[in-house]
Amino acid sequence: MKLLRPAILATALVVSLTACDSAATPENAGGTKPIAVDLPRADSDFWNSYAKYVPAFAKEAGINLMTPTNSQNDIAKLVANTQALTSQGAKAIVMAPQDTGAIATTLTQLEQKKIPVVTVDTRPDKGNVYMVVRADNRAYGQKACEFLGAKLGGKGKVVEFQGSLSSVNGRDRSEAFAECMQSKFPGITVFAEPTDWEGAKASAALQTRLAQHPDINGIYMQAGGVFLAPTLQLLRTKNLLVPPGDPKHIFIVSNDGIPQEFEAIRKGEIDATVSQPADLYAKYALFYAKAAVEGKTFQPGRTDHDSTIVEVRKGLLEDQLPAPLVTKDNVEDSALWGNQIGK
Amino acid sequence: MSTVPARLSGIRLARMRDLTLIPAILVLLVVGAVVDPVFLSSTNIINVLQQQTELSLLVLAETVILIGGRFDLSLESTVGLAPALGVALVIPAASNGLGTSWPSALAVPLILLVGLLVGALNALLIVRFGLSAFIVTLGMLITLRGLQIGITGGQSLFELPPSVLYLGSATWLGLPLSIWLCGTLFAVGIAVLGWFRHGRAVYAVGGNVDAARAAGIRTDRVMWIVFIVAGVLAALAGLLMTGRLGSIAAAQGDGLIFKVFAAAVIGGVSMNGGKGTLFGALCGVLVLGLITNILTLAGVSAQWIQAVYGLIILVALVLARVTTGKAQDS
Repeated sequence: MKLLRPAILATALVVSLTACDSAATPENAGGTKPIAVDLPRADSDFWNSYAKYVPAFAKEAGINLMTPTNSQNDIAKLVANTQALTSQGAKAIVMAPQDTGAIATTLTQLEQKKIPVVTVDTRPDKGNVYMVVRADNRAYGQKACEFLGAKLGGKGKVVEFQGSLSSVNGRDRSEAFAECMQSKFPGITVFAEPTDWEGAKASAALQTRLAQHPDINGIYMQAGGVFLAPTLQLLRTKNLLVPPGDPKHIFIVSNDGIPQEFEAIRKGEIDATVSQPADLYAKYALFYAKAAVEGKTFQPGRTDHDSTIVEVRKGLLEDQLPAPLVTKDNVEDSALWGNQIGK
Repeated sequence: MSTVPARLSGIRLARMRDLTLIPAILVLLVVGAVVDPVFLSSTNIINVLQQQTELSLLVLAETVILIGGRFDLSLESTVGLAPALGVALVIPAASNGLGTSWPSALAVPLILLVGLLVGALNALLIVRFGLSAFIVTLGMLITLRGLQIGITGGQSLFELPPSVLYLGSATWLGLPLSIWLCGTLFAVGIAVLGWFRHGRAVYAVGGNVDAARAAGIRTDRVMWIVFIVAGVLAALAGLLMTGRLGSIAAAQGDGLIFKVFAAAVIGGVSMNGGKGTLFGALCGVLVLGLITNILTLAGVSAQWIQAVYGLIILVALVLARVTTGKAQDS
């Protein structure tokens, strides 16, 4: 792995060298200060949708957007990208650090350089940022629990595909789901399966659990993008994919809100999903980045876009965007981002 | 095997090495039965076998390469790229395809062809140009994964032609087709490596390449074939995984190579070439599969599952050492 370091450094160097020309242009061009966006990964449906929204909303808001970089779920790449973007003249940076602990040093350096940072989807464990734009992930677990509990009438067996426990989002969803199940539906047995966000692991765990407990009647998956297809494929081969109303039907609640989940809801294969707002993430990340460059400040409280700014710890503000529960009743709602993008 | 023993005793020695994991497997079976009676039910055992089919094909491929004294890290990326590229060429652009929309009957042959080409490229760089197998295949691992993400735009491919799903999801005579397939391939592999001239040649090349060449074995050609077969097997593994999971995720196969090496090495395959058997490697695969299954049945919490998993592998190794009384090489 030693070899990777020089490679990364070389890439960073090339990027920063080529940057010298381009950095000059924006300042001359419009006078608007350049804003940089780092995308966290290129291999997930959710983040690819987010990536498509970024340039669109930047144009709408008249933002001078630099070419987005991608850190491929690697904290070392994120640090290198941040340095490159800084030397390219970025006046604000939007990022989504997936490792929420390791980013602290970089945030401190950026703070010293007076470059405001907006984090999307994740909240850093340490360090200051201008604003965190994030859906309330605890609400995801809560909503999934309440929906499943009501559908099952308070008793039954539920399999939960946990995300990675090293990510704040996976932890929040798992904890909220567990707390809600324990306090509101003690009659439901929950099997929490660790998956590290891997579809193959989830499929194997579900297959094993179904052999152990053939009467499982609910599934909560914390990410539709990775778990949806493996789960449906497994249930299909076991002849358990039956419409709601059939006594053999397994109630499934998902998180993400990608078009494929909506399709499955329409077909009656799954019952609900929590739509994680990819469009609002892009829109408000850029909104706050622009506001930061213009020197505006915000206070905790309600906002004008149906969300609440919360002071999660001293000096750290988080805009908690709404994440609606989508069921058969509202799956055709054209305001949902999953209905706006082509498949 | 520094000296080449007489053929009969050679086979007997190999058998001994083969059986080192049997005690560990027996212990795991007992533990599993204690944890939950469901463990020994045929449904559960079939599940375990089916979940291990993809890994077992990769281990088959890697074992032959390791016996030949080389190395291939890129197999896990072929598991993702081969099905992704094959499918992207036949599905319409609207479903994240490449827009070529070739007839969907071509999907499976294309997928295997991609595996073949990757294997041939590896062989070209390693055998023909004499580059380090470790670095070449590390480079390939990154490149192939990157190609997959580039081709699919990082999206999962959901709308797959039925032919692609068939191998990984069909059932023949009560057993998943993938189990039949892997069983057959392992039987063929064990026979070829054990008793056929081409198979024995791989051991000779891995043991001492100069001696093998002096003995009249076309060493380069043997390794070309080994790399190409490995590429095709990895593509086939990707096909099985696609059928089982019903989609091709951009990260399909990511991180699998560590398990491949773990299975091969605890199965008694030497990292230095020339030693090990497919039966031993298959036992290694079974051990990993049984551990995962038991941990799920026992409901070990997410925080501890990795530590327990690693610890059990170490215990299995110690058990193998104690029961056979033979020192294991690195």
